[in-house]
Amino acid sequence: MTKISYLPGHSGSPGTDALPPLAESVDYIASLGKPTAARVLMDARDAGRVAIQPRCGVGGHEEMKALLRELENQAAPDILTLTIDSHTRLKRFEQALRSLNRAPADLNGYPLVSHGYLRGREVNESVTAPLEIRHGSPDARILFDVAVASGITSFEGGGISYNLPYSKAVPLAESLAAWNAVDAVCGELAGLGLIVDRELFGTLTAVLVPPSISLAISVLEAVLAARAGVRCISVSYPQSGHLVQDVAALRAIPVLARTYLPPEVDVHAVLHEFMGVFPKKRGNAEDLIFYGALVARLGGASKLITKTYQEAFGIPDTRANVEGLRLADRANSPLLDFVKADEERVADELSWIVDEVADIVEPVLAAPDTMTAVVDAFAAGRLDIPFSASRYAKSEIIPKRDAEGAIRYLSTGSLPFGDRTRRHNSDLLKGADSTGGPVIGSLLTGLTDDINYFPALFREIRKETQEEDAE
Amino acid sequence: MSHSERRLVILGVAASDSHAVANHLIAHALRGLGFEVENLGTCTPVEEFAQACEQYPDAEAVIIGSLNGHVHEDLRDLPAAREAGRITCPVIVGGNLSVGSKKDPRDLERLKALGVDRILQDPAQLLPALDELRASRTADRQRLPVAS
Repeated sequence: MTKISYLPGHSGSPGTDALPPLAESVDYIASLGKPTAARVLMDARDAGRVAIQPRCGVGGHEEMKALLRELENQAAPDILTLTIDSHTRLKRFEQALRSLNRAPADLNGYPLVSHGYLRGREVNESVTAPLEIRHGSPDARILFDVAVASGITSFEGGGISYNLPYSKAVPLAESLAAWNAVDAVCGELAGLGLIVDRELFGTLTAVLVPPSISLAISVLEAVLAARAGVRCISVSYPQSGHLVQDVAALRAIPVLARTYLPPEVDVHAVLHEFMGVFPKKRGNAEDLIFYGALVARLGGASKLITKTYQEAFGIPDTRANVEGLRLADRANSPLLDFVKADEERVADELSWIVDEVADIVEPVLAAPDTMTAVVDAFAAGRLDIPFSASRYAKSEIIPKRDAEGAIRYLSTGSLPFGDRTRRHNSDLLKGADSTGGPVIGSLLTGLTDDINYFPALFREIRKETQEEDAE
Repeated sequence: MSHSERRLVILGVAASDSHAVANHLIAHALRGLGFEVENLGTCTPVEEFAQACEQYPDAEAVIIGSLNGHVHEDLRDLPAAREAGRITCPVIVGGNLSVGSKKDPRDLERLKALGVDRILQDPAQLLPALDELRASRTADRQRLPVAS
């Protein structure tokens, strides 16, 4: 592999000055002869099938191209991913470059900024599916500019969702402003005829996220994105594991879009297959993957991000990634029309979710300046996420699975919920095998069981709260 | 609540450790028990614990969680912070304190040598430990001769 000792457009510090003008990149994308991610999502929705996408990214350039080609040849996903390394996510471009030159296999993703947009274009041209950038950057402006120049038409992240789960001390005002700049460029590109799909990361910390928290954060990010000019928004939601709750949450996305977003914005529901502790045994892991794909189908998702049977052990090899994609796509089969959710229960759950989201977002949206209102609300705990990595969310809310496994609020913290919502949550948790009160030990063991829900369900491990002589 | 009843603790996860769940649950539980919790969150170096002690001189303890087995390395700067008088209140450490499933009692001795007062294996021990440390500190203060 040839060493590279430059950063795109610079002899000195990172920036974007040598990138082509936006119009040139738009022409380049048109010349690629592949659909944009936005087009693929629209076609999938029109066809009534769920588009399939893996997670994948390695440090080396040739290795990245080989990985994508292999995934495409073996499993033909609708959209492919460029997962970006942690250095690049934090704008440590020099460190990314050092690792790239010394030991590219040490990078946990593709350092696109260090490789530069010409290599980005080579990666793009090596496959027929459109690419999405997946990362975790609180400030993704440079990465985004290089992605657009590389002809990449889908970009994940948001000013809240790519800050709080990933960074400890980046003020929300900074990440919101940085993402507003990204979204504004999407608006410019839309003016030039290119629709960039902007996926929001509703998965957040991936640990027991109540649906109304995930969706409320996405609604706020979507409103800001739409105002900045974004025309295609994917709202991703992390599978909780409870069928009715997950189907209702996915179906709530178009309902929320109609309420809070202008009609010219195309909104897609995206399911992230279960992001928590996965079962270890291959058969059990594959059950969960297929179950997730069925949830996406029943929920009317435009797209599914897949997992693999190696999830419990770390980043999967190509073989496992291929198998995960193929298995998930089986749920698109016309033979499965007989699989139905309990429509009455889904409708009831959906109405609770939409009401909770309204309670959370409407006071924020009523304020004159939404970004400032978001910052203030997080400082006061009126907006919050559980188990935040960042100091800029209070994490006063504590989730808990109810007796059926759906995720509820054990503590609603300072969220502006009405009495009705609070009562509903505490009623639902009455049947859960919680040992009561905020005693440190029982709270921890109860939550540990909720986190290990699937390994326990498949009896790979024992529940901590289970009696010794339970069997 | 009178000033003497105020109970404030400084909480955080060791420097190389990003496990957030137990940290937030312990903060939540302590607040439920009436404590004020200054939660420094995940990946907190000794320096930040020392700064928090300076900011909150009436903190009754520093509680450091560690789940990744690197606590000895993460607390390397604790003796210096103790020596400089920047962390004067008791230090409690709990979690999974060394790599591997077999625990060596010498690991715990090494932690004590770094300036850790209490080592907890189970979060249920936290409240009794805080109560004991507080009682013994109060007793120590009462034994102190009146300053001339």
